[in-house]
Amino acid sequence: MNPEHIRLQTRRKAVLQAGSAGLGVPALATLLRAEQERNPLGGLTALPHIPPRVSRVIWLFQSGGPAQMDLFDYKPELQHRFGEEVPESIYPAERKTTMTSGQTSFPCAPSSLKFSQQGQSGIWMSEAMPHLARHADRLCVIRSMYTEAINHDPAATLFQTGSVIPGRPSMGAWISYGLGTENADLPAFVAMTSNGSAKTGQPLYDRLWGAGFLPGRYQGVRFRGQGDPILDLSDPAGVTRIQRRRMLDSVNRLNRMQSATVKAPEIETRIAQYELAFRMQMSVPDLMDLSEETKETLEAYGPNAQKPGNYAFNCLLARRLAERGVRFIQLYHRGWDAHNNTPVQIRSQCSDTDQPTAALLHDLQQRGMLDDTLVIWGGEFGRTIYCQGKLTSKVYGRDHHPNCFSYWMAGGGIQPGLTYGATDDYSVNVVENPVHVHDLQATVLHQLGIDHERLTFRSQGRDFRLTDVSGRVVSEILDQSSAATA
Amino acid sequence: MIARQPRFPAVFCLPGHHRFAESSLVKRLLLPLTPLLILLQLPAAAAEPPDFVRDIRPILSDACFNCHGPDAEARQADLRLDQRQAAISSKVLSNGEMLRRLQSDDPELVMPPPQSIRPLNTEQRQQLSTWLQSGAEWPKDDRHWSFIPPLRPAVPQLPQSSTVRNEIDAFVQQRLQQQNLQPSPQADRATLLRRLSFDLTGLPPTVAELDAFLQDQSESAWAAAVDRLMSSPRYGEHMALGWLEAARYADTDGYQNDRLRYMWVWRDWVINAFNDNMPFDQFLIQQLAGDLLPERNFMTQVATGFQRNHRINSEGGSIPDEWIVEYVADRVETTGTIFLGLTFNCARCHDHKYDPFSQQDYYQLFAFFNNIAEAGLGPNDGNSPPFIPVPDSWPNLSPAQLAFVEPEPPKVTLQQTSVPRPQPGSPKTVMVMHEQAEQRPTYLLSRGRYDAPDTSHQLLPATPQLLSEWRPEWPANRLGLAKWLVSPDHPLTARVTVNRIWQHFFGQGLVRTADNFGSQGEYPSHPELLDWLATEFIRLNWDVRALQKLIVSSGTYQQSSQHTSAADPDNRLLSRGPRRRLSPYAIRDTALYVSGLLQEDIGGPSVRPYMPPGIWRSISNATYKQDSGAALYRRSMYTYWRRTVPPPTMMTFNAAAREVCVVQTAETTTPLQALTLLNNQTFVEASRLLAERMLKQGGSDTEQLTWAFRSITSRTPTAAELRILLQDLQECREEFAQNPHAASQLLAVGECKADPDLPPQAVAAAALAASTILNLDESITRN
Repeated sequence: MNPEHIRLQTRRKAVLQAGSAGLGVPALATLLRAEQERNPLGGLTALPHIPPRVSRVIWLFQSGGPAQMDLFDYKPELQHRFGEEVPESIYPAERKTTMTSGQTSFPCAPSSLKFSQQGQSGIWMSEAMPHLARHADRLCVIRSMYTEAINHDPAATLFQTGSVIPGRPSMGAWISYGLGTENADLPAFVAMTSNGSAKTGQPLYDRLWGAGFLPGRYQGVRFRGQGDPILDLSDPAGVTRIQRRRMLDSVNRLNRMQSATVKAPEIETRIAQYELAFRMQMSVPDLMDLSEETKETLEAYGPNAQKPGNYAFNCLLARRLAERGVRFIQLYHRGWDAHNNTPVQIRSQCSDTDQPTAALLHDLQQRGMLDDTLVIWGGEFGRTIYCQGKLTSKVYGRDHHPNCFSYWMAGGGIQPGLTYGATDDYSVNVVENPVHVHDLQATVLHQLGIDHERLTFRSQGRDFRLTDVSGRVVSEILDQSSAATA
Repeated sequence: MIARQPRFPAVFCLPGHHRFAESSLVKRLLLPLTPLLILLQLPAAAAEPPDFVRDIRPILSDACFNCHGPDAEARQADLRLDQRQAAISSKVLSNGEMLRRLQSDDPELVMPPPQSIRPLNTEQRQQLSTWLQSGAEWPKDDRHWSFIPPLRPAVPQLPQSSTVRNEIDAFVQQRLQQQNLQPSPQADRATLLRRLSFDLTGLPPTVAELDAFLQDQSESAWAAAVDRLMSSPRYGEHMALGWLEAARYADTDGYQNDRLRYMWVWRDWVINAFNDNMPFDQFLIQQLAGDLLPERNFMTQVATGFQRNHRINSEGGSIPDEWIVEYVADRVETTGTIFLGLTFNCARCHDHKYDPFSQQDYYQLFAFFNNIAEAGLGPNDGNSPPFIPVPDSWPNLSPAQLAFVEPEPPKVTLQQTSVPRPQPGSPKTVMVMHEQAEQRPTYLLSRGRYDAPDTSHQLLPATPQLLSEWRPEWPANRLGLAKWLVSPDHPLTARVTVNRIWQHFFGQGLVRTADNFGSQGEYPSHPELLDWLATEFIRLNWDVRALQKLIVSSGTYQQSSQHTSAADPDNRLLSRGPRRRLSPYAIRDTALYVSGLLQEDIGGPSVRPYMPPGIWRSISNATYKQDSGAALYRRSMYTYWRRTVPPPTMMTFNAAAREVCVVQTAETTTPLQALTLLNNQTFVEASRLLAERMLKQGGSDTEQLTWAFRSITSRTPTAAELRILLQDLQECREEFAQNPHAASQLLAVGECKADPDLPPQAVAAAALAASTILNLDESITRN
């Protein structure tokens, strides 16, 4: 089945199932009223606020905080400052974490990786990502990201939910709440996690794909690398599909009889959800079945493409989910928290992720999907230019750094081949075109056709939004048609 | 104002603005995407003049206060519409200015401005205009309704009848009569016993209990059932659950590596408090200030664990001062939500945008909780000081063990070279509140930031004057705060508490926004009933069980839940009984209970039942070690609660995440719930054990199926229902007979060994029948 056919079919299905609203509908009539009016895809009728430029987002979240100066933020002059103290005027004491704030010395640790310009656009990249380098002309590199949070948990929570305080909905939940789903047989929002070859890293938390105060059905469904991809997807051992179908038919018939007696509208909803569960039991194995992938495709993603729970596998699955109309696909790859021996760790993380990331871009491109897919790469913060621990020419560590870090975006409506924003000589502070986390979020929503100030939900008497009380669409990185609506 | 004769508005203005309108009546009256108006009455009454507190201020609050309200920094044009004097002095009400701007087509003039995300709909605009044109009456005492202490209203005099059983019914039915609506008839007795059993114990009645109740037609049968269920230890467990969710109880710290803590002794204290029917004022005082009571002891100290259940950060690199502020802020937020129904946390960074509380008010409340002998970072696993040792003999304590224990102060040392961590409390300790000797000064924090204190002005503990007077004899600490909260003339504590208890039985409170009684909260559906209950609760000396008895013995509670008329779609008028899906805890517990697997020990350390493979390992550095044997089958309230990876089955059925205080959760219906009930190991194992019970029960297939159906749904199946189940059972039996391997595979699900004396094909076939019944909507619902 070709992807376009799948898309058409899923759209049609979704429309036919108007009212079943994607992954579940509220149980109570009161809850229905507590939300806004919804269209056949289960999205809000008020949306899109503006013409959408992309249909879906794939966010390759690099958990732990990749070191910007070892990957994208090239600082050749720093080679001469090896071991010199980073001036306090550049790096004030109060912005250091307590892991290093007690150090007596903050020596400059320039990157030991080689940089070169890539593609026609001449984007600077280090040698650690040779595969991605071949797609440089598709990327928009933002060197001027910044955040306030200095520790992993608050920083990652801010990126995913717009607040360091827990309890807010994640970005994917906001999007599935606002836009609904294009495929009624799959969740609108899928999260996947992977570990690098280091097998360890900063932990992740269910709240990163949670629904917060939005109804629970908007939470991201985590696809698992072990056991059933979706929890309890498989029938129990010893139960045949025929038995399962018969059982569902009986459950539905009995529920209908009950519905006729007690006249509770929730029962019809439950019947619809049981049917949807049955369809998911078919659609998910179909999604996971890589046998239709060509040898070339599998090879492009690298040797781990067929290993569930691996980053390469998740990248390939991201494309397959995108083809099937899943709206927000979030990957988390752990292991970027390079406090010790950053160069070795960076290389190892890149060797785990570089090829699959590049393959995903290429794969989307050749299928004609990159134009309406937004791909985002980056972590929760950057890393310090000063050395954590012992400094040698080969070995250095880097602590957390919120004041600047690098992201890249590619695909729908983003200017390709652009380097945006700049940092100071030390890669410590943004000096040009700062982009806050909320700005990035506003921009992503904008590409999906959402005005970030107008997608709100009332909780405890207040209208909350993803971008809290700030956020600006970074129109400078958008192509003309996207920028026109910003 | 609250005690006045009830007048019923055409509409109630609710806080949401774009909401879904279902009925054609609503659609006809409202434009799409207009602010939510729920019709509670016939349009004829719309001619009634608007009431300021009930009708006008909610509109002003929602649409205007953001720029013309309490927050001085956000205020535009120096105009305040939240204060009577300021609004009148500005003359905009009387000189036509406000009316002109409301009715103007000029985008430069019209209010709210066209780009506002808080627009007014036609109806609201009309109401404001009517109010302005009729003289803009603004009562002198214009306090928000919930800030005025409840006055005990007169109970409407209605003739006793089968549906008017007590005062609750008088209030409810008077209201129904005014709407020309009838109450629903009483539900059938089996439904009633199921409703009561789930509401009081979280478990269904057994078939024997059902039979006994159906046979006992005496007047006292209901009261006897209430007493039986309330005296069961399951009552305390079930009642504790809502409190655990609100008190954000969990077994881990909640940030980053999500280190282990040991708070189950506090959880046991809560269960015991409910089982002992501790009066609510005591319950509150001990949890807020049990360490400060003159008669303090070990138990009152344990109670204070309530305000140590907040998350604690132990991530290396964190700044201790920053996190102490977060812990204190969490205590203020929890106290505000759970006792006051107010969103005090809004005033952490700026004056409250809707309610008359300043940022200074916030930090004066903050000061009550800011003097705990605590550390900013948590230890690497273990309780964070202050904590006290728990005797091995817990919960059986000798008089000596009951004595107050002085916790040792935090001893912070640098670990992993640079991380300032305190000493960890072992699994044999519990965290408590304890004041530190030296006073930690409290300052207003600019924008709520820990590193931006206004040190020019130290703030002392104080409560907002507006709510209730502070008596000079109260100490200016948490004990005084607790006494302030339970003083009989406090406007909020009793109302908020009875509302939450009401919500427990009816699924929604009389104030539907149980977490917000402020000006953005919802106006009560039955203001007088709420006030009567609040004053009655105090008159009953905060006797929780007595209040609950009053509720469950009302005709209102005992109505049938069938939808009989479209006039009351959300049951806001209580024209029928409450129909509700079971809680996630009750759903799992019921499956274990009917299959005979449930292990009913009370309390103790949390247990680790079945979880998906790699549940913790896949996203963290911790490994889940599943228990074995009896620990797999404890009630769900004892399931280990790892905050960053909460139990999936509970979350699938909409449990609160235990990160912050939550007093109401939204129910949704999803396919993941279907997958859980169909395929999850716990539910499959329960099905096959229930099948074994069916076979041991003996009798014909019909008798076995009837017994299982009644065990799960509390109802006898109809002949048509039985036919479906019977046919499936017979077909499955033939299939398993032809494929004995499949039967043995199914019987191997779960740890509990299959009974070797029973024929595997018969058990497997009955297991699928049991599973079919467990998957019915009715099985996870109490009507």
